[in-house]
Amino acid sequence: MRAAAGWVQRCGAARLSRPLRVGSVPGVLNQGAAWNSASRRRYGVLPRARDAEEKAVLDSMMRVDHAGEYGADRICAGQMAVLGRTQAGPLIQHMWEQEKLHLQKFNEILAEHRVRPTVMLPFWNVAGFVLGASTALLGKEGAMACTVAVEESISEHYNSQIRTLMEADPERYTDLLQLIKEFRDDELEHHDTGLEHDAESVPGYFLLKTVIQAGCKAAIYLSQRI
Amino acid sequence: MAALIRGLRADRLVRALGSVAIQMGRVPRGNGSSRGLHRALVLRLADDSHRDQTVPPPPHHTHFAEQSCASDASSQQEHGHCHASHQDQSGEQEEGYETEEQLEARILTAALEFVPQHGWTVEAIAAGAETLGLSAASAEMFNNGAGELVLHFVEECNAQLAKILAEQHNRVQLGQTEKKETAEFLRDAIETRLRMLIPYIDTWPQAMSLLLLPHNIPESLKHLSTLVDDIWYYAGDRSTDMNWYTRRAALTGIYNTTELVMLQDSSPDFKDTWTFLDNRIQDIVNMANTAKQMKSTGEAVVQGLMGVAVTMKNLTGLNQRR
Repeated sequence: MRAAAGWVQRCGAARLSRPLRVGSVPGVLNQGAAWNSASRRRYGVLPRARDAEEKAVLDSMMRVDHAGEYGADRICAGQMAVLGRTQAGPLIQHMWEQEKLHLQKFNEILAEHRVRPTVMLPFWNVAGFVLGASTALLGKEGAMACTVAVEESISEHYNSQIRTLMEADPERYTDLLQLIKEFRDDELEHHDTGLEHDAESVPGYFLLKTVIQAGCKAAIYLSQRI
Repeated sequence: MAALIRGLRADRLVRALGSVAIQMGRVPRGNGSSRGLHRALVLRLADDSHRDQTVPPPPHHTHFAEQSCASDASSQQEHGHCHASHQDQSGEQEEGYETEEQLEARILTAALEFVPQHGWTVEAIAAGAETLGLSAASAEMFNNGAGELVLHFVEECNAQLAKILAEQHNRVQLGQTEKKETAEFLRDAIETRLRMLIPYIDTWPQAMSLLLLPHNIPESLKHLSTLVDDIWYYAGDRSTDMNWYTRRAALTGIYNTTELVMLQDSSPDFKDTWTFLDNRIQDIVNMANTAKQMKSTGEAVVQGLMGVAVTMKNLTGLNQRR
């Protein structure tokens, strides 16, 4: 009973393939083009959880992914704040737009499946902005190095999630797997873009990268749990 | 294939019951076997009463199960397993059999009738068990005693509220009812939930003190957070930032304080309580509005300051490129 009432959230282009629903529900409209391409789902990205344990695992995964995209959005904001009016501006803006789409998608998923967002969001807000801005102060190369480090962490994280889901039940999580794969490919593209634009030429690249990736690992660990 | 699935289900049930048994098994072994015997008696009673009403399971299955039951007379786990295997091996006749959790739920629901008389105690549970045709000793099945009765009641009330809210939501979806304002919705939801306490209001202080016992706190907090999450979800909250937390915290505060006010309210039909609730909801609505206003004021101020800064830079000629 509750299931029917609760899952009436609309999710972007899936609306096109679903029959018209009477009335409207408070929800987030997603007209994001990136997601249109892959949607055949009728019931939402996550399968309905069979028991509390599966729900906890899926919730934790979605929570940390949401936190990750939120952090990425703030990092890009920090980078734009410093380098927005330079030559690197359009490049960073383009990557920012893609991160915004990812964040929007995860916002929808969290709302639809009643997943609790992580408590650490205000911290990631500040920390992300400060990270983006401070590395951007090292110049365009610094910003690119930060991008490379973060995107490498995130793609590694997405890959481990894909592995977990594939090991559990690829059939059941088809849509979710497709989503994560698409996002991982986007992040890898950003990583490669960063490398192309002289990320490695920043002084102390190796140290910077290690520190940032350690921070990302800690962030992932915390966001999964709280 | 079907047998494999039944076997797997039985396995899960065994593990579930095993974990229950492990928790119960902290009692020294001597007690454990007498408890096991108690539970066996209860379960056999339940089994017998059901078996009278339904078609008996295929003979060779029953025979096999009873053999394995008889051979493991002292361990609680095996009794649970026996019960489970009875249930699983007569897969198609499941209506006549129930799990231990379902039986416990039925006993506790029956026990609620006796709460005004006995309070939230094991006596109430025993009286409830007797109405179901079980022996009063089956109340000892509940390790946590009266605490379990209170937690069961809270869980039932929350489930009922969720059902009511879902039905309302459905009606709004179908256009049969108007959508309520958030403040009104919250107010009605909390009032509905608190009205479920009215039949037990005299003994509710005792129940609240039971919920505050250290070993009951985790579960009672879990029920409270489920309740508040449900109410906000059906009120239309889809936030994914700190608002998620602040809203639920505010509603938890309102619910708890209103509950306390209700305990001391002697006005007809708890009129004062609902007035108090109204005022508290109005408070958070005002706070939310103030916060919004402050934010937009702050933004306007920042814009103004930026304007001043740019003007000063222009005046002093700092903005010119040389």
